[in-house]
Amino acid sequence: MDALSRHTSPRISACECVTAFGDTRATLNGLLDGARALAPTAVLGRDGGDMVPIGLAPGRSYEETSRPNWLPYLRALIARLPSGDWGTGRRPIVVTSSNFGVGALHAFRRSGDRSFLALGTPFACVAWLAGELGWGQNVTIFSHACVSAHLGLLHGSRLLAAGLADSVLVFSFDFLSPFVVGGFHALKILNADLPAPYQDRATGSVALGDGAAFAVLTRDRGEFEIPAQRLHNEMFHFTSNRVDGAGFTACLASMAEATSGRKLWVKGHGTGTLEAGRLESTLLATAYPDAPLVGWKGGIGHTLGSCGLVELAIALEGMRRGRVPGTVGSAPPAFGPTVAFEPFDAAPFDSVLCTSNAFGGAHAALLVAHA
Amino acid sequence: MLEAYIHSLYTEDPGRETPAETRERLKDLFPRNASRRMTQLGQLVGAVLGRIGPGENEPIVYATAYGETRALESYLESFPAPSPTLFQTSIHPSGVQQALIARQQPIRELFPMTGSDCLTARALEVALLTGASKTLFCGGEERGTWMLDNGAASERTFAFALVLSADPTGAAGHLALTAGEAAFSRSHEPPTATAATRGLSPFFDLLHMRQAFSGLIAPERTLTLAWL
Repeated sequence: MDALSRHTSPRISACECVTAFGDTRATLNGLLDGARALAPTAVLGRDGGDMVPIGLAPGRSYEETSRPNWLPYLRALIARLPSGDWGTGRRPIVVTSSNFGVGALHAFRRSGDRSFLALGTPFACVAWLAGELGWGQNVTIFSHACVSAHLGLLHGSRLLAAGLADSVLVFSFDFLSPFVVGGFHALKILNADLPAPYQDRATGSVALGDGAAFAVLTRDRGEFEIPAQRLHNEMFHFTSNRVDGAGFTACLASMAEATSGRKLWVKGHGTGTLEAGRLESTLLATAYPDAPLVGWKGGIGHTLGSCGLVELAIALEGMRRGRVPGTVGSAPPAFGPTVAFEPFDAAPFDSVLCTSNAFGGAHAALLVAHA
Repeated sequence: MLEAYIHSLYTEDPGRETPAETRERLKDLFPRNASRRMTQLGQLVGAVLGRIGPGENEPIVYATAYGETRALESYLESFPAPSPTLFQTSIHPSGVQQALIARQQPIRELFPMTGSDCLTARALEVALLTGASKTLFCGGEERGTWMLDNGAASERTFAFALVLSADPTGAAGHLALTAGEAAFSRSHEPPTATAATRGLSPFFDLLHMRQAFSGLIAPERTLTLAWL
């Protein structure tokens, strides 16, 4: 028995998100309509630069402000969180992000305004946020690029399994700034095109998006459960996967027992890059030939460290409403035979496999089923 | 109570050694091409982890409050033409990834963490809950320059790595983390732990000096550290 399977399955009693479409419901509606919430934006904001597609939360400015302009979106998100003494002894919080308030450091460099420094380190940003949202001090923070949220869900599950918590709030937030968009653009991952995840075409493209989400994990309450969670880190290269897909294969192989016999669909990572999309979709089709594969970053953009939790919230809302969005922004031909371009009914399926990838060849997989 | 035995402890305390001096001192530990691009923290974490020799199925918990400060400073200085290499190097958890990519060492579970006063307690909790027979706990900081002047970087450079296991055979020490039941304060200030016992740097000192300790390291979290 491995370290994970000894744990009982945690339940998800609440899970919501905010994206460039708005709240969870608006996001699902937008994706079911095949819409994109992405708009061309100058990489460096008021300092110009190439135009690239990004998805900002509705009405939010891309420019940094000393009092973060993303706070109201988190307040609106938290308003849907079941009340309670979050951050106290038996109700810990696990915060995950890849950005935190790092955009403020660039704003400080650009403006010289020292007030930006208050959010310049991850821990200072989380402490400030905890104060704003009325949270206690029992906060654990993970930052592992685009699989960050998966780590939060896994550790939250372990806190429950160990009896160290009655319920756990996993909270993730990532809001765009010239700091991070400039970095991705410098890596030549962004261009003027819109993303078409898993589509076999000549040039890949990625869009980034604002995103935040939470999940409340409990031992025995909630309509969904998490039967299995797995991680794998290739450590092959900072920004590319092993060409043989060994990291994808290892992560999926570790899920084989948990997914055996299930009727599942797959929410993949699907950023819109070509090689990762080809590897991901072909290996998923090999492992799960009957499971339709979808990716939603063509509609909401890549919400970075929060994508695992944002897309989980969308997946659960789709399962509740009986309709799963297709791979928005993409069209045939696909890299793999299981890519679903159009929405489909959730009723024939009993579970969803959610996967995410990150720099460093990090892979994460999460199986969610009706409880 | 969560507890484990400490095996294979290594520390790096380079004082005010510059990144170039660290690179020269540790250059034989890494492939030449990799060493040239590694940060000071990446080299130090790589040095202590390399002495342990992590295995694929041994989870790694990596703790750092500030991460790759020098790379972050240089990345910010590179605007309005942001550097792709510095962006990638500045991303948390680049330090431990530099070390493991240089070794081409896959790791099943990697938990990169950040935090401040409570970071040691939270990271130990994560490490003690992996359920694996061996878990590696490592961490460190590198001294900043202009970000330090602005209170956004570590004053000190250091790194550590240790193995936590339920097996007492040949252990160098033992640690236990006790969780209290009392309510947490909402003040975001640990009410009883003192500055000398909080955060990653004081924990590093305990390890480096092999000092025993028993006391609060976060609200409702007591660390007991003994050397065998």
